Amino acid sequence: MNLLKKDNFQRDVFLGLLVWFMLIIFYYILPDPGIHDIIQKVFILGLFAMSLNILIGYLGLIAFGHAAFFASGAYTLGLFLQSDFVLNLAGFSIPVAIVLAVLVSSILATLIGVICIRLKDIYFSFLTLAFQMLIYSIILALVNITGGDQGLMGGFPKPPFLGIDLGKPFDFYAFTIFISIITIVLLRQLIESPFGYGLRMIRDNSERPAALGFNNQKHKLIAFIIAGSIAGLAGSLQALLDVGAYPEWAFWSKSAEPLFMILLGGMHSFLGPLMGALIFEILNDFVTANTRYYGLVLGLVILCFVLGLKKGLLDWLLIKLNRK
Amino acid sequence: MLKIDKLSKSFGGILATDNVSLELKPNSINALIGPNGAGKTTLFNLITGKIDIDEGQIFIDNTNITNLKESEITHLGIARAFQITNIFSTLSVQDSIKVALLAKQHGLNNMWNRFKAHSINKEAESIAKLSGLTKSYNTISSALSHGDQKLLDIALALALKPKVLLLDEPTAGMGPEERWKMIDRIQKLWKKTKMTVLFIEHDMDIVFDIAQNIYVLQQGAIIAEGTPKEIKSNKKVIKAYLGGGKK
Ligand SMILES: Nc1ncnc2c1ncn2[C@@H]1O[C@H](COP(=O)(O)OP(=O)(O)OP(=O)(O)O)[C@@H](O)[C@H]1O
Ligand SMILES: [Mg+2]
Repeated sequence: MNLLKKDNFQRDVFLGLLVWFMLIIFYYILPDPGIHDIIQKVFILGLFAMSLNILIGYLGLIAFGHAAFFASGAYTLGLFLQSDFVLNLAGFSIPVAIVLAVLVSSILATLIGVICIRLKDIYFSFLTLAFQMLIYSIILALVNITGGDQGLMGGFPKPPFLGIDLGKPFDFYAFTIFISIITIVLLRQLIESPFGYGLRMIRDNSERPAALGFNNQKHKLIAFIIAGSIAGLAGSLQALLDVGAYPEWAFWSKSAEPLFMILLGGMHSFLGPLMGALIFEILNDFVTANTRYYGLVLGLVILCFVLGLKKGLLDWLLIKLNRK
Repeated sequence: MLKIDKLSKSFGGILATDNVSLELKPNSINALIGPNGAGKTTLFNLITGKIDIDEGQIFIDNTNITNLKESEITHLGIARAFQITNIFSTLSVQDSIKVALLAKQHGLNNMWNRFKAHSINKEAESIAKLSGLTKSYNTISSALSHGDQKLLDIALALALKPKVLLLDEPTAGMGPEERWKMIDRIQKLWKKTKMTVLFIEHDMDIVFDIAQNIYVLQQGAIIAEGTPKEIKSNKKVIKAYLGGGKK
């Protein structure tokens, strides 16, 4: 148990695998497909929200166009799996499709980031939003490729690989959560590394670093690319889940979702956005089952958090625990 | 060490720096004085590359640093502390010093170590000790007293191991007692590290007490320079600056 005391990468890997095992046991204890669906969605959306929180929580940049990368990941994966490459690659198709989705999202993030990162505050937010709406229009315009407003039509094959068949609910559940947890562990390493403290430094005071011989812009760009890549990964998992991709995933309201999750869960704790995704999904599930006024309920809950706790739930809990 | 040659800068119509030339000797401690708005901070901003130069040149150890970027100039050995404290509010003293140390070594690109466990810890401790921040080593910057925030601002500059240290009103906003403590600290620092120091200060007693060489700035131009003794008896200075204060 010495392993648990030290806050290091090994401990995080251990804890991550432990959580993964517990969730797998949970799958058998509670054989309710509805709940399994919520859990895997929480991880997918949690990845999306955590990637955005690199920018919001650690860098202090309110990016409002993060769905661009979610959508680029989803469409890349879908289009690739619909292509003839699958015939040749067979068992490698899905891993290659995911890697490609992340790669395309990272390239897109580089292109958008190079331009946006120069701006500050509201101008940065607006420009990221503008780029996202550009991506949205492109998806709608390229009807022949993307299916336009109908989304990617006709589904795509999910050839088994390494004995994993994503067509089976259990395989999908275990695989999605595994990939998410590994990414979260790597993300925590990033946030706790010197690089991560460079982010906090820029957030606290963007003027001083130059007087310490530091280049803010390069650091911000790298963070933006990493955030976009992880959002792309989340999008590709979502596409695998829904066996499709939809233009709404590139719409501005999709960028607002991870923002809500960050607000609900807390931007100052590493797992806050994941907790936010859990609250978001539970609300989504129970509220839509009982009323049509989902937006209203979500709005009221966020209002309670913002006015009542004045912070996200996990932030609030951690502060309470530390006071004791 | 630091050489400035016919430097000028204007903001709109105001000439904030007017044909300034000066040369700091290695391992010397120098004061820059002048009334409010004389252009003292502007001169620091020009030296460190924070703002662009209109005319003139700047050298450090015969390397021309004119028109280099702020971060490049920092790596060539010029560090500064700011008039208005310029620190990282959510980072502790320890973490602030560590990011400064790592920035200097280009170590902030590292993604594979844990910051908390970084081998730089010992060095950070010694910088904190040198700056008199050992007691508040684990305090979050925003919770420090004003005096300690000023010290942290200086500690960040010290972490860069500069050849030339520029201090912009290190005693601003301090009471008399705290002020002398700070000056004591700076004097010790200077003796220990063999840096070349240029500080801006309004308190004449302090300036005459510790500066080897004094530059008097008025409306952007240097109107006098010399040892404390020379400055005290300089007619121009008495008329333009020291005299005004005594009335
Ligand atoms: N970025 C800027 N833009 C426009 N004007 C400026 C700028 N920075 C300084 N000035 C002007 O240049 C002049 C010199 O200002 P500076 O801050 O260098 O004075 P100072 O000697 O440091 O004064 P103080 O003792 O009050 O700190 C002032 O008239 C100021 O208003
Ligand atoms: Mg000033």
